[in-house]
Amino acid sequence: MNYPDNGAYMVAAYVVTAIVVVGYAAMLFFRIRKLR
Amino acid sequence: MTWRGAVAIARKDLAIEWRTKTAFMSSLVFAVLVLAVLFFARDATAVSAFDMAPGVLWVTFTFAGMLGLNRAFLVERENRSLDGLRLSPATPTAIFLGKVAGNIVFVGVVELVSLPLFVLFYDVAIWRQVPLLIGVIAMATVAFVAVGTLLSAMVVRTRFSEVMLPVLLLPFLVPPIVSAVQLTWRILADRPLAEMTGWLSLLGSFDIVFFILSLLLFDAIITE
Amino acid sequence: MTRRDKALQLARRGGIVTGLAIAGLVGVYIRALVYTPIERFQGPAQKIFYVHAPVAWASLLAFAVCGLLSLAYLFMRDRRVDLLAVSSAEVGVALSVAMLTTGPIWGKPIWGTWWTWDARLTSTLFLFLLFVGYLVLRGALSDLEVRARYSAAVGVMALVLVPFIHVTVYWFRTLHPAPVVMKPESPSLPGVMLTTLLISIAVFTLLYIGFLMLRYALAVLEDVKLEEAAHELS
Repeated sequence: MNYPDNGAYMVAAYVVTAIVVVGYAAMLFFRIRKLR
Repeated sequence: MTWRGAVAIARKDLAIEWRTKTAFMSSLVFAVLVLAVLFFARDATAVSAFDMAPGVLWVTFTFAGMLGLNRAFLVERENRSLDGLRLSPATPTAIFLGKVAGNIVFVGVVELVSLPLFVLFYDVAIWRQVPLLIGVIAMATVAFVAVGTLLSAMVVRTRFSEVMLPVLLLPFLVPPIVSAVQLTWRILADRPLAEMTGWLSLLGSFDIVFFILSLLLFDAIITE
Repeated sequence: MTRRDKALQLARRGGIVTGLAIAGLVGVYIRALVYTPIERFQGPAQKIFYVHAPVAWASLLAFAVCGLLSLAYLFMRDRRVDLLAVSSAEVGVALSVAMLTTGPIWGKPIWGTWWTWDARLTSTLFLFLLFVGYLVLRGALSDLEVRARYSAAVGVMALVLVPFIHVTVYWFRTLHPAPVVMKPESPSLPGVMLTTLLISIAVFTLLYIGFLMLRYALAVLEDVKLEEAAHELS
Protein backbone atom coordinates (compact mmCIF):
# COMPACT_ATOMS: atom_id res chain seq x y z
CA MET A 1 0.00 0.00 0.00
CA ASN A 2 2.79 2.40 -0.83
CA TYR A 3 1.44 4.00 -3.99
CA PRO A 4 0.76 7.73 -4.33
CA ASP A 5 -2.54 9.04 -3.07
CA ASN A 6 -3.99 10.36 -6.33
CA GLY A 7 -7.27 8.50 -6.52
CA ALA A 8 -9.22 11.74 -6.69
CA TYR A 9 -7.78 12.45 -10.13
CA MET A 10 -8.83 9.03 -11.31
CA VAL A 11 -12.38 9.56 -10.14
CA ALA A 12 -12.50 13.01 -11.72
CA ALA A 13 -11.33 11.69 -15.09
CA TYR A 14 -13.78 8.81 -15.12
CA VAL A 15 -16.65 11.08 -14.11
CA VAL A 16 -15.79 13.68 -16.78
CA THR A 17 -15.62 11.03 -19.48
CA ALA A 18 -18.97 9.60 -18.43
CA ILE A 19 -20.54 13.06 -18.47
CA VAL A 20 -19.23 13.80 -21.97
CA VAL A 21 -20.30 10.43 -23.39
CA VAL A 22 -23.75 10.35 -21.82
CA GLY A 23 -24.21 14.06 -22.39
CA TYR A 24 -23.47 13.87 -26.10
CA ALA A 25 -25.65 10.77 -26.48
CA ALA A 26 -28.52 12.58 -24.78
CA MET A 27 -27.97 15.65 -26.94
CA LEU A 28 -28.20 13.55 -30.10
CA PHE A 29 -31.25 11.74 -28.79
CA PHE A 30 -33.14 14.95 -28.08
CA ARG A 31 -32.16 16.58 -31.36
CA ILE A 32 -33.42 13.52 -33.26
CA ARG A 33 -36.61 13.43 -31.25
CA LYS A 34 -37.31 17.06 -32.10
CA LEU A 35 -37.21 16.21 -35.79
CA ARG A 36 -39.24 13.04 -35.58
CA MET B 1 -2.36 32.16 -70.53
CA THR B 2 -2.15 31.19 -66.90
CA TRP B 3 0.93 33.29 -66.21
CA ARG B 4 -0.38 36.35 -68.01
CA GLY B 5 -3.68 36.04 -66.21
CA ALA B 6 -1.99 35.66 -62.86
CA VAL B 7 0.24 38.65 -63.43
CA ALA B 8 -2.71 40.71 -64.58
CA ILE B 9 -4.67 39.85 -61.46
CA ALA B 10 -1.71 40.57 -59.19
CA ARG B 11 -1.10 43.90 -60.87
CA LYS B 12 -4.76 44.82 -60.59
CA ASP B 13 -4.85 44.04 -56.87
CA LEU B 14 -1.65 45.93 -56.19
CA ALA B 15 -2.82 48.89 -58.26
CA ILE B 16 -6.06 49.04 -56.27
CA GLU B 17 -4.14 48.86 -53.02
CA TRP B 18 -1.59 51.42 -54.16
CA ARG B 19 -4.28 53.99 -54.82
CA THR B 20 -5.48 54.21 -51.23
CA LYS B 21 -2.78 52.32 -49.33
CA THR B 22 -5.27 51.92 -46.47
CA ALA B 23 -4.74 48.23 -45.81
CA PHE B 24 -1.01 48.58 -46.21
CA MET B 25 -0.80 51.45 -43.77
CA SER B 26 -3.01 49.66 -41.25
CA SER B 27 -0.89 46.53 -41.39
CA LEU B 28 2.29 48.51 -41.03
CA VAL B 29 1.07 50.55 -38.07
CA PHE B 30 -0.23 47.35 -36.52
CA ALA B 31 3.17 45.70 -36.93
CA VAL B 32 4.97 48.60 -35.28
CA LEU B 33 2.48 48.64 -32.41
CA VAL B 34 2.83 44.92 -31.80
CA LEU B 35 6.62 45.19 -31.80
CA ALA B 36 6.52 48.04 -29.33
CA VAL B 37 3.84 46.66 -27.02
CA LEU B 38 5.47 43.24 -26.77
CA PHE B 39 8.75 44.91 -25.91
CA PHE B 40 7.13 46.51 -22.90
CA ALA B 41 5.00 43.49 -22.02
CA ARG B 42 7.70 41.71 -20.07
CA ASP B 43 9.75 41.91 -16.93
CA ALA B 44 12.87 43.50 -18.39
CA THR B 45 15.02 42.17 -15.57
CA ALA B 46 13.98 38.59 -16.19
CA VAL B 47 13.46 38.39 -19.94
CA SER B 48 16.01 39.83 -22.32
CA ALA B 49 14.87 41.40 -25.54
CA PHE B 50 17.07 38.96 -27.39
CA ASP B 51 15.30 35.93 -25.91
CA MET B 52 11.92 37.27 -26.90
CA ALA B 53 12.96 38.54 -30.29
CA PRO B 54 12.32 35.56 -32.58
CA GLY B 55 8.85 34.92 -31.17
CA VAL B 56 7.96 38.60 -31.31
CA LEU B 57 9.08 38.89 -34.91
CA TRP B 58 6.88 36.05 -36.01
CA VAL B 59 3.84 37.03 -34.00
CA THR B 60 4.15 40.45 -35.60
CA PHE B 61 4.54 39.14 -39.14
CA THR B 62 1.72 36.63 -38.73
CA PHE B 63 -0.86 39.01 -37.34
CA ALA B 64 0.03 41.88 -39.64
CA GLY B 65 0.00 39.42 -42.51
CA MET B 66 -3.47 38.16 -41.65
CA LEU B 67 -4.79 41.72 -41.83
CA GLY B 68 -3.54 41.89 -45.38
CA LEU B 69 -4.85 38.53 -46.48
CA ASN B 70 -8.48 39.32 -45.99
CA ARG B 71 -8.44 42.31 -48.23
CA ALA B 72 -7.50 40.24 -51.30
CA PHE B 73 -10.97 38.78 -51.56
CA LEU B 74 -12.86 41.45 -49.73
CA VAL B 75 -12.11 43.70 -52.65
CA GLU B 76 -13.84 41.22 -54.95
CA ARG B 77 -16.92 40.95 -52.81
CA GLU B 78 -17.89 44.54 -53.47
CA ASN B 79 -19.38 45.03 -56.93
CA ARG B 80 -19.44 41.22 -57.21
CA SER B 81 -16.27 41.36 -59.22
CA LEU B 82 -15.50 37.79 -58.23
CA ASP B 83 -18.15 36.73 -60.74
CA GLY B 84 -16.36 38.89 -63.25
CA LEU B 85 -13.15 37.05 -62.52
CA ARG B 86 -14.86 33.72 -62.95
CA LEU B 87 -16.32 34.70 -66.29
CA SER B 88 -13.00 35.96 -67.54
CA PRO B 89 -10.73 33.60 -69.46
CA ALA B 90 -8.50 33.39 -66.38
CA THR B 91 -8.31 29.82 -65.07
CA PRO B 92 -8.77 29.15 -61.34
CA THR B 93 -5.06 28.43 -61.21
CA ALA B 94 -4.33 31.85 -62.65
CA ILE B 95 -6.65 33.51 -60.17
CA PHE B 96 -5.01 31.68 -57.28
CA LEU B 97 -1.47 32.44 -58.42
CA GLY B 98 -2.39 36.05 -59.05
CA LYS B 99 -3.97 36.48 -55.63
CA VAL B 100 -1.07 34.71 -53.91
CA ALA B 101 1.45 36.85 -55.77
CA GLY B 102 -0.38 40.02 -54.84
CA ASN B 103 -0.60 38.89 -51.22
CA ILE B 104 3.08 37.95 -51.09
CA VAL B 105 4.04 41.38 -52.38
CA PHE B 106 1.73 43.05 -49.87
CA VAL B 107 2.87 41.00 -46.87
CA GLY B 108 6.46 41.08 -48.09
CA VAL B 109 6.54 44.84 -48.14
CA VAL B 110 5.06 45.04 -44.64
CA GLU B 111 7.72 42.58 -43.47
CA LEU B 112 10.53 44.42 -45.20
CA VAL B 113 9.55 47.70 -43.62
CA SER B 114 9.03 46.29 -40.11
CA LEU B 115 12.24 44.25 -40.12
CA PRO B 116 14.57 47.24 -39.64
CA LEU B 117 12.26 48.49 -36.91
CA PHE B 118 12.51 45.10 -35.27
CA VAL B 119 16.31 45.32 -35.43
CA LEU B 120 16.10 48.81 -33.95
CA PHE B 121 13.73 48.04 -31.08
CA TYR B 122 15.19 44.70 -30.08
CA ASP B 123 18.80 45.49 -30.74
CA VAL B 124 19.56 42.34 -32.67
CA ALA B 125 22.45 42.12 -35.09
CA ILE B 126 21.31 40.51 -38.30
CA TRP B 127 23.77 41.92 -40.80
CA ARG B 128 25.86 38.83 -41.22
CA GLN B 129 22.90 36.55 -41.62
CA VAL B 130 20.63 38.69 -43.75
CA PRO B 131 20.44 36.29 -46.74
CA LEU B 132 19.57 33.29 -44.57
CA LEU B 133 17.07 35.30 -42.53
CA ILE B 134 15.42 36.67 -45.65
CA GLY B 135 15.26 33.12 -46.98
CA VAL B 136 13.50 31.84 -43.88
CA ILE B 137 11.12 34.81 -43.86
CA ALA B 138 10.32 34.16 -47.51
CA MET B 139 9.63 30.48 -46.98
CA ALA B 140 7.36 31.02 -43.99
CA THR B 141 5.55 33.85 -45.78
CA VAL B 142 4.83 31.65 -48.79
CA ALA B 143 3.39 29.05 -46.40
CA PHE B 144 0.93 31.30 -44.67
CA VAL B 145 0.03 33.29 -47.76
CA ALA B 146 -0.79 30.16 -49.77
CA VAL B 147 -3.04 28.65 -47.11
CA GLY B 148 -4.37 32.05 -46.12
CA THR B 149 -5.34 32.92 -49.68
CA LEU B 150 -7.34 29.70 -50.02
CA LEU B 151 -9.06 30.19 -46.67
CA SER B 152 -9.82 33.86 -47.25
CA ALA B 153 -11.52 32.95 -50.53
CA MET B 154 -13.85 30.80 -48.44
CA VAL B 155 -14.48 33.01 -45.45
CA VAL B 156 -15.12 36.15 -47.46
CA ARG B 157 -18.64 34.87 -47.98
CA THR B 158 -19.31 34.71 -44.25
CA ARG B 159 -20.32 37.61 -42.11
CA PHE B 160 -17.41 37.63 -39.68
CA SER B 161 -14.61 37.00 -42.11
CA GLU B 162 -12.07 39.03 -40.11
CA VAL B 163 -12.46 36.61 -37.22
CA MET B 164 -13.04 33.44 -39.19
CA LEU B 165 -9.83 33.74 -41.13
CA PRO B 166 -7.51 33.68 -38.08
CA VAL B 167 -9.62 30.94 -36.47
CA LEU B 168 -9.21 28.64 -39.44
CA LEU B 169 -5.72 29.74 -40.40
CA LEU B 170 -3.86 29.61 -37.10
CA PRO B 171 -3.71 25.81 -36.72
CA PHE B 172 -2.13 25.70 -40.18
CA LEU B 173 0.48 28.17 -39.09
CA VAL B 174 1.86 25.98 -36.30
CA PRO B 175 4.38 24.03 -38.39
CA PRO B 176 5.72 26.93 -40.48
CA ILE B 177 5.78 29.52 -37.70
CA VAL B 178 7.30 27.22 -35.08
CA SER B 179 9.94 26.27 -37.66
CA ALA B 180 10.50 29.93 -38.53
CA VAL B 181 10.94 30.90 -34.87
CA GLN B 182 13.33 28.01 -34.26
CA LEU B 183 15.33 28.99 -37.32
CA THR B 184 15.25 32.70 -36.49
CA TRP B 185 16.67 32.29 -33.02
CA ARG B 186 19.37 29.97 -34.32
CA ILE B 187 20.25 32.47 -37.02
CA LEU B 188 20.37 35.36 -34.56
CA ALA B 189 22.44 33.28 -32.16
CA ASP B 190 24.90 32.39 -34.91
CA ARG B 191 24.34 28.67 -34.58
CA PRO B 192 25.87 26.34 -37.17
CA LEU B 193 23.84 25.45 -40.22
CA ALA B 194 23.76 21.80 -39.19
CA GLU B 195 21.36 22.66 -36.38
CA MET B 196 18.93 24.21 -38.80
CA THR B 197 18.57 21.56 -41.46
CA GLY B 198 15.75 19.73 -39.71
CA TRP B 199 13.54 22.79 -39.33
CA LEU B 200 14.44 23.97 -42.82
CA SER B 201 13.28 20.68 -44.28
CA LEU B 202 10.05 20.84 -42.29
CA LEU B 203 9.40 24.38 -43.46
CA GLY B 204 10.33 23.54 -47.03
CA SER B 205 8.19 20.42 -47.23
CA PHE B 206 5.25 22.27 -45.68
CA ASP B 207 5.67 24.96 -48.34
CA ILE B 208 5.64 22.50 -51.20
CA VAL B 209 2.82 20.33 -49.90
CA PHE B 210 0.47 23.12 -48.90
CA PHE B 211 1.15 25.34 -51.88
CA ILE B 212 0.20 22.53 -54.23
CA LEU B 213 -2.73 21.47 -52.06
CA SER B 214 -4.07 25.03 -51.82
CA LEU B 215 -3.71 25.42 -55.57
CA LEU B 216 -5.63 22.21 -56.24
CA LEU B 217 -8.38 22.96 -53.73
CA PHE B 218 -8.80 26.52 -54.99
CA ASP B 219 -10.29 25.13 -58.17
CA ALA B 220 -13.03 23.45 -56.14
CA ILE B 221 -13.64 26.64 -54.16
CA ILE B 222 -13.90 29.10 -56.97
CA THR B 223 -15.76 26.99 -59.52
CA GLU B 224 -19.49 27.05 -58.91
CA MET C 1 -39.22 3.63 -47.64
CA THR C 2 -38.85 7.33 -47.76
CA ARG C 3 -35.57 8.99 -46.98
CA ARG C 4 -37.05 10.06 -43.69
CA ASP C 5 -38.05 6.54 -42.72
CA LYS C 6 -34.62 5.23 -43.57
CA ALA C 7 -33.06 7.91 -41.40
CA LEU C 8 -35.33 7.03 -38.49
CA GLN C 9 -34.45 3.37 -38.90
CA LEU C 10 -30.77 4.28 -38.85
CA ALA C 11 -31.38 6.36 -35.74
CA ARG C 12 -32.98 3.41 -34.00
CA ARG C 13 -30.12 1.12 -34.93
CA GLY C 14 -27.60 3.78 -33.96
CA GLY C 15 -29.34 4.07 -30.63
CA ILE C 16 -28.96 0.36 -30.07
CA VAL C 17 -25.28 0.40 -30.98
CA THR C 18 -24.69 3.41 -28.74
CA GLY C 19 -26.62 1.75 -25.94
CA LEU C 20 -24.48 -1.36 -26.27
CA ALA C 21 -21.35 0.76 -26.29
CA ILE C 22 -22.40 2.62 -23.15
CA ALA C 23 -23.15 -0.70 -21.47
CA GLY C 24 -19.72 -1.83 -22.56
CA LEU C 25 -18.30 1.36 -21.11
CA VAL C 26 -19.88 0.56 -17.75
CA GLY C 27 -18.20 -2.83 -17.99
CA VAL C 28 -14.88 -1.20 -18.77
CA TYR C 29 -15.28 1.15 -15.83
CA ILE C 30 -15.90 -1.75 -13.48
CA ARG C 31 -13.07 -3.77 -14.88
CA ALA C 32 -10.62 -0.88 -14.80
CA LEU C 33 -11.53 0.47 -11.43
CA VAL C 34 -12.09 -2.77 -9.53
CA TYR C 35 -10.46 -5.68 -11.31
CA THR C 36 -7.32 -4.12 -12.75
CA PRO C 37 -4.44 -3.80 -10.33
CA ILE C 38 -3.12 -0.42 -9.27
CA GLU C 39 0.24 0.47 -10.73
CA ARG C 40 2.72 0.70 -7.90
CA PHE C 41 4.66 3.82 -8.85
CA GLN C 42 1.96 5.91 -10.49
CA GLY C 43 -0.93 5.00 -8.25
CA PRO C 44 -4.62 4.92 -9.10
CA ALA C 45 -4.28 7.91 -11.42
CA GLN C 46 -2.56 5.64 -13.91
CA LYS C 47 -5.97 4.07 -14.55
CA ILE C 48 -7.03 7.29 -16.27
CA PHE C 49 -5.03 5.90 -19.14
CA TYR C 50 -7.74 3.29 -19.74
CA VAL C 51 -10.21 5.98 -20.73
CA HIS C 52 -7.91 8.74 -21.93
CA ALA C 53 -6.03 6.74 -24.56
CA PRO C 54 -9.09 5.03 -26.10
CA VAL C 55 -11.10 8.25 -26.28
CA ALA C 56 -8.10 9.91 -27.92
CA TRP C 57 -7.94 7.09 -30.44
CA ALA C 58 -11.66 7.40 -31.14
CA SER C 59 -11.52 11.15 -31.67
CA LEU C 60 -8.55 10.88 -34.00
CA LEU C 61 -10.37 8.13 -35.88
CA ALA C 62 -13.37 10.44 -36.21
CA PHE C 63 -11.25 13.27 -37.59
CA ALA C 64 -9.40 10.97 -39.97
CA VAL C 65 -12.68 9.58 -41.30
CA CYS C 66 -13.94 13.13 -41.77
CA GLY C 67 -10.78 14.00 -43.69
CA LEU C 68 -11.10 10.99 -45.97
CA LEU C 69 -14.80 11.60 -46.55
CA SER C 70 -13.97 15.22 -47.38
CA LEU C 71 -11.55 14.04 -50.03
CA ALA C 72 -14.16 11.64 -51.34
CA TYR C 73 -16.74 14.43 -51.50
CA LEU C 74 -14.52 16.55 -53.73
CA PHE C 75 -14.54 13.77 -56.29
CA MET C 76 -18.04 12.38 -55.86
CA ARG C 77 -19.97 15.57 -54.96
CA ASP C 78 -22.54 13.36 -53.25
CA ARG C 79 -24.45 15.19 -50.52
CA ARG C 80 -24.64 12.06 -48.37
CA VAL C 81 -20.84 11.98 -48.18
CA ASP C 82 -20.89 15.57 -46.96
CA LEU C 83 -23.47 14.76 -44.28
CA LEU C 84 -21.43 11.78 -43.12
CA ALA C 85 -18.30 13.93 -43.01
CA VAL C 86 -19.85 16.60 -40.79
CA SER C 87 -21.28 13.86 -38.58
CA SER C 88 -17.85 12.37 -38.05
CA ALA C 89 -16.42 15.84 -37.40
CA GLU C 90 -18.96 16.61 -34.71
CA VAL C 91 -18.48 13.24 -33.01
CA GLY C 92 -14.74 13.88 -33.14
CA VAL C 93 -15.18 17.25 -31.47
CA ALA C 94 -17.32 15.72 -28.71
CA LEU C 95 -14.82 12.93 -28.05
CA SER C 96 -11.96 15.44 -28.14
CA VAL C 97 -13.58 17.30 -25.28
CA ALA C 98 -13.25 14.13 -23.21
CA MET C 99 -9.67 13.66 -24.36
CA LEU C 100 -8.63 17.24 -23.70
CA THR C 101 -10.16 17.22 -20.22
CA THR C 102 -8.87 13.82 -19.11
CA GLY C 103 -5.44 14.71 -20.50
CA PRO C 104 -4.65 17.40 -17.94
CA ILE C 105 -6.37 15.39 -15.18
CA TRP C 106 -3.96 12.59 -16.00
CA GLY C 107 -1.02 14.90 -16.54
CA LYS C 108 -1.10 16.63 -13.18
CA PRO C 109 -0.47 13.57 -10.99
CA ILE C 110 1.67 11.67 -13.48
CA TRP C 111 3.77 14.40 -15.11
CA GLY C 112 3.48 17.03 -12.40
CA THR C 113 1.97 19.60 -14.74
CA TRP C 114 -1.52 20.17 -16.11
CA TRP C 115 -0.44 20.48 -19.72
CA THR C 116 2.62 18.75 -21.09
CA TRP C 117 2.72 20.10 -24.68
CA ASP C 118 3.51 16.59 -25.86
CA ALA C 119 2.96 15.76 -29.51
CA ARG C 120 -0.26 13.81 -29.20
CA LEU C 121 -2.10 16.06 -26.78
CA THR C 122 -1.09 19.24 -28.60
CA SER C 123 -1.95 17.81 -32.01
CA THR C 124 -5.37 16.89 -30.72
CA LEU C 125 -5.81 20.38 -29.30
CA PHE C 126 -5.12 21.95 -32.68
CA LEU C 127 -7.29 19.42 -34.47
CA PHE C 128 -10.08 20.15 -32.00
CA LEU C 129 -9.77 23.89 -32.63
CA LEU C 130 -9.61 23.35 -36.36
CA PHE C 131 -12.73 21.23 -36.44
CA VAL C 132 -14.59 23.63 -34.20
CA GLY C 133 -13.67 26.19 -36.85
CA TYR C 134 -14.93 23.74 -39.48
CA LEU C 135 -18.29 23.50 -37.74
CA VAL C 136 -18.48 27.27 -37.25
CA LEU C 137 -17.69 27.82 -40.94
CA ARG C 138 -20.49 25.47 -41.88
CA GLY C 139 -22.83 27.35 -39.62
CA ALA C 140 -21.94 30.60 -41.37
CA LEU C 141 -22.63 29.32 -44.90
CA SER C 142 -26.23 29.11 -45.96
CA ASP C 143 -25.88 27.69 -49.45
CA LEU C 144 -25.78 23.90 -48.97
CA GLU C 145 -23.62 23.13 -51.97
CA VAL C 146 -21.09 25.82 -51.12
CA ARG C 147 -21.07 24.66 -47.53
CA ALA C 148 -20.32 21.08 -48.54
CA ARG C 149 -17.56 22.10 -50.93
CA TYR C 150 -15.85 24.49 -48.52
CA SER C 151 -16.08 22.06 -45.61
CA ALA C 152 -14.56 19.35 -47.77
CA ALA C 153 -11.62 21.62 -48.59
CA VAL C 154 -11.00 22.36 -44.91
CA GLY C 155 -11.37 18.66 -44.07
CA VAL C 156 -8.76 17.63 -46.61
CA MET C 157 -6.39 20.34 -45.43
CA ALA C 158 -6.84 19.22 -41.84
CA LEU C 159 -6.02 15.65 -42.82
CA VAL C 160 -2.78 16.71 -44.50
CA LEU C 161 -1.89 19.02 -41.61
CA VAL C 162 -1.91 16.31 -38.93
CA PRO C 163 1.50 14.75 -39.65
CA PHE C 164 3.10 18.20 -39.92
CA ILE C 165 1.77 19.30 -36.55
CA HIS C 166 2.80 16.03 -35.00
CA VAL C 167 6.39 16.31 -36.22
CA THR C 168 6.58 19.99 -35.28
CA VAL C 169 5.45 19.45 -31.72
CA TYR C 170 7.53 16.30 -31.35
CA TRP C 171 10.71 18.08 -32.45
CA PHE C 172 9.88 21.07 -30.31
CA ARG C 173 9.39 18.84 -27.30
CA THR C 174 12.53 16.87 -27.95
CA LEU C 175 14.37 20.14 -27.49
CA HIS C 176 12.38 21.14 -24.44
CA PRO C 177 11.47 17.99 -22.55
CA ALA C 178 8.96 18.33 -19.77
CA PRO C 179 10.06 17.38 -16.29
CA VAL C 180 9.39 13.74 -15.68
CA VAL C 181 7.97 13.02 -12.27
CA MET C 182 7.18 9.38 -12.69
CA LYS C 183 7.46 6.77 -15.37
CA PRO C 184 5.69 8.54 -18.24
CA GLU C 185 4.46 5.87 -20.60
CA SER C 186 3.47 2.31 -20.04
CA PRO C 187 5.16 0.79 -23.06
CA SER C 188 4.93 -2.74 -21.83
CA LEU C 189 1.68 -3.19 -19.97
CA PRO C 190 1.41 -6.48 -18.16
CA GLY C 191 -1.37 -8.85 -19.23
CA VAL C 192 -4.36 -7.71 -17.20
CA MET C 193 -3.74 -4.03 -17.83
CA LEU C 194 -3.20 -4.56 -21.54
CA THR C 195 -6.45 -6.50 -21.82
CA THR C 196 -8.33 -3.72 -20.04
CA LEU C 197 -6.88 -1.18 -22.42
CA LEU C 198 -7.76 -3.24 -25.49
CA ILE C 199 -11.32 -3.84 -24.32
CA SER C 200 -11.67 -0.12 -23.68
CA ILE C 201 -10.38 0.71 -27.16
CA ALA C 202 -12.92 -1.69 -28.65
CA VAL C 203 -15.76 -0.16 -26.61
CA PHE C 204 -14.84 3.40 -27.60
CA THR C 205 -14.62 2.36 -31.25
CA LEU C 206 -18.11 0.93 -30.98
CA LEU C 207 -19.20 4.15 -29.29
CA TYR C 208 -17.81 6.15 -32.21
CA ILE C 209 -19.77 4.00 -34.66
CA GLY C 210 -22.97 4.37 -32.65
CA PHE C 211 -22.56 8.15 -32.37
CA LEU C 212 -21.77 8.37 -36.08
CA MET C 213 -24.93 6.47 -37.00
CA LEU C 214 -27.06 8.70 -34.75
CA ARG C 215 -25.46 11.91 -35.93
CA TYR C 216 -25.77 10.92 -39.59
CA ALA C 217 -29.41 10.02 -39.11
CA LEU C 218 -29.90 13.44 -37.56
CA ALA C 219 -28.12 15.09 -40.49
CA VAL C 220 -30.37 13.32 -42.97
CA LEU C 221 -33.48 14.28 -41.01
CA GLU C 222 -32.37 17.92 -41.01
CA ASP C 223 -31.69 17.70 -44.73
CA VAL C 224 -35.12 16.19 -45.38
CA LYS C 225 -36.73 18.97 -43.36
CA LEU C 226 -34.93 21.59 -45.45
CA GLU C 227 -36.08 19.87 -48.62
CA GLU C 228 -39.67 19.84 -47.43
CA ALA C 229 -39.47 23.50 -46.50
CA ALA C 230 -38.05 24.33 -49.92
CA HIS C 231 -40.83 22.39 -51.63
CA GLU C 232 -43.50 24.20 -49.68
CA LEU C 233 -42.14 27.53 -50.82
CA SER C 234 -42.18 26.57 -54.49
